[in-house]
Amino acid sequence: MDEKVGKFWDHYVTKKASRLFKAEEVTFADIAKGLKLFYHLLGGEKAKELHITDKRSIQTSRTLTERFSGTGKTFFLAWQDEKGIYLPASLAYFPAKTHNKMHYYWLIAMLANITVNRQNISSENIRVSDLLIKKYPGFREFYTYSQRYLREYYPELSTIEPSLEASSVDNYPNPLWIYPPLASSNKLLSSDDEEEVHRQRDEENKTEILKMKKKSEQIDDKKETDGLLLFLPESIMSLMEQVRVDRQENDSFDEDALYNAEDLEEITLGQKDANLSARIKMDLDISANSVEEYPLGKGHFIDEWDYKKELYLKNYVCIKSIISLHTEPIELPKRLQKMMRRIQSELDLMELNRIKRDNLPYGDEINIESWIDYKGHQNRSNHPQRFFQTYERKMRDMSTLILADVSLSTEAGITQEIRVIDMIQDALMVFSESLHRLRDRFAIYTFSSIKNTKVNFHIIKNFKENYSDTIRGRIHAIKPGYYTRMGAGIRESAKILDKQQSANKLLLILSDGKPNDVDRYDGRYGIEDTKKAIEEVKKKGITPFCITIDIDAKEYLPYLFGRNSYAVIRDAKKLPKVLPEIYMNLTK
Amino acid sequence: MSKTYYLPQGNEVELFKAAAGMNLPVLIKGPTGCGKTRFVEAMGEELGRDVYTVVCHDDLSAADLVGRHLIDENGTYWQDGPLTKAVRHGGICYLDEIIEARKDTTVVLHSLADYRRVLPIDRTGEVITAHPDFMLVVSYNPGYQNVLKGMKPSTKQRFISLTFNYPKAEIETEVIVKESGVDQKIAQKLVAIAGEIRQLSDSDIQEAVSTRLLIYAGKLIAHGFDPYQACIHSIVESLSDEEDVLAVLEKLISLHFIKSIHV
Repeated sequence: MDEKVGKFWDHYVTKKASRLFKAEEVTFADIAKGLKLFYHLLGGEKAKELHITDKRSIQTSRTLTERFSGTGKTFFLAWQDEKGIYLPASLAYFPAKTHNKMHYYWLIAMLANITVNRQNISSENIRVSDLLIKKYPGFREFYTYSQRYLREYYPELSTIEPSLEASSVDNYPNPLWIYPPLASSNKLLSSDDEEEVHRQRDEENKTEILKMKKKSEQIDDKKETDGLLLFLPESIMSLMEQVRVDRQENDSFDEDALYNAEDLEEITLGQKDANLSARIKMDLDISANSVEEYPLGKGHFIDEWDYKKELYLKNYVCIKSIISLHTEPIELPKRLQKMMRRIQSELDLMELNRIKRDNLPYGDEINIESWIDYKGHQNRSNHPQRFFQTYERKMRDMSTLILADVSLSTEAGITQEIRVIDMIQDALMVFSESLHRLRDRFAIYTFSSIKNTKVNFHIIKNFKENYSDTIRGRIHAIKPGYYTRMGAGIRESAKILDKQQSANKLLLILSDGKPNDVDRYDGRYGIEDTKKAIEEVKKKGITPFCITIDIDAKEYLPYLFGRNSYAVIRDAKKLPKVLPEIYMNLTK
Repeated sequence: MSKTYYLPQGNEVELFKAAAGMNLPVLIKGPTGCGKTRFVEAMGEELGRDVYTVVCHDDLSAADLVGRHLIDENGTYWQDGPLTKAVRHGGICYLDEIIEARKDTTVVLHSLADYRRVLPIDRTGEVITAHPDFMLVVSYNPGYQNVLKGMKPSTKQRFISLTFNYPKAEIETEVIVKESGVDQKIAQKLVAIAGEIRQLSDSDIQEAVSTRLLIYAGKLIAHGFDPYQACIHSIVESLSDEEDVLAVLEKLISLHFIKSIHV
């Protein structure tokens, strides 16, 4: 009962203190896609992602009701860092939906133009606002209205004047302004930390992730204690602010922690590694089975693109070519034979797509034109008298290299029995079969990586080998492992394709997710390097095409490959069927 | 007839003239609506040569270029194609979007595009040596490439290549003012809009807004159309069919040109 009353009171008083127009609220989720496009339109960096920000606390004077209700301490503010831009989950400052929506667009326009830190916050925001209202009459209208409105409705905002040099984050925050990055003063676990070997993949096997940027603080929890509780458990009245949201491990996904984390103002990160990473490491070290992976030479080095420094890190990545020995040759599995029969009928249709050959002494049909030529010829005896035409199979002159990502994430299950890797294997078999029947030249490689020191480049079939039971055996023996240093895989493949003599070269990348590795090759760094690698591929006259089974992938794929150079397959089970279809469409 | 208006962006005019003087064939690459065709037409006028334009497509056969026998009441007779006409009498033969043509068709260009400058016509048994004023110009849009539709390297390597892009802001503004009749301020706005939309090209929309579309928008505005409406119909609607993209482009236009209430 007490709880109920408390809840009711809290609800009432919060509502009373809130000056927002909840009925006219516009949420980020509703217009996120448009906002992203708008950000690109205004020249925002395409590799940055849009996220929802968390509240941040700001010391400011509060009204009596605000103090009463405990509100007015924290605010949703817009800001950005290297990796992304962060916006409030909803906006409702104005009494009309159109203005609240416009507010989002305004913030995006500001973000696309501003670099703000704790010192220049006021001057920068004013400078960029001026710039925007000068350039866009539409924004001028909104800005004049919102300035007037906010000042009237939020008297606290009158402290932010262009003349006041002292304006800082600690004033009542202006909802039209952009603020410095959330964690700039805190020591965060740096993602550039190359020593951080044990960290696990961030998104692996998660059903849900906390899509919110949280203020964080690190504590030293490495010290072992004997487990003695130094306080009375019953004295804990509310949720402790030290909920363990484990950034280091993700195998055991604690949904409660996620739920609680959303409510927290600040998250404290521990530095202690979970035991799990040690276990995983052991798993990786165990040799899989009797199939022997045989390295070809010591490996060689290739460059990688560092987007921050805007230069190539020369000979930075070590590529190790590997071939599996002692694989058992197998026939096309029975489960795929039916599908192959269906695909074959489509392949037959492709063969109908033939070219006409004219002026033959014999052939399928009479060519009326050459008959007229003959009739019209002055000196008929000299005429070659070739009146026939025939249709010949088109010379395709194609070389296709299939590069499959076999990182550990492909181990993930689609259903209880089927894993992503199973589908990749099936797809490779069906696809090879199709290409073989089309008589197109092709090669298959797979890749996985552990930092820049080791990118395994696995040869399944090179361009010279014939497609056979042995190749199928090698496909069957593919084992997932490690991470996805995609740029390196692409560069290595491009090198191989470049040596082929065909007029048409296609690089088909088969992946289940974003580029990522344990070192800094994660998030934006990985994406920018992969993009660079793709550009290099295109410069060589090779057409890249990516097929991905990552549902969230759409976000970054157009940026990586360009609009018409990728396909997202939502249902991984369809991969074996879809892959040959995509290929046929690409090369028709 | 008034002279075709073309504002040079770099050294392309000098290069084209030099190529014409030395009998070298020219390849022009560039996105849709950036002024490739206009450039060739202007050059034709400048050099005093006729321009024979052929828009290439899938079914374009060698006979469409070279010529064919036709029948009339007197029997059959030979009709020159545009290429043969240019070769025989001099002039610029301009093959637009050459990538769209079948590869076996473009092979007829080989002997014309190198030092030999001859066009053999199998059907009549003729071998025509090109007129001194004959010039071969081809163009294509690299953005369109399909895996099997690249240009044959052996064809590509016979041309002097020029890459066109959308003109610089000042030049584009001038072109729009001249071509559509709007004032400088509106033209600058249109160029600013185009500059922003071009940031989306490749990743979010297939192809960015061309100078041609900007001129269309300018013409509508000069004709008395509301600028917002003019931009929606000439720029936004032509660029995409996707609702999200359309909505954002519309937003952008509304920020530049305020929607008038009575429309």
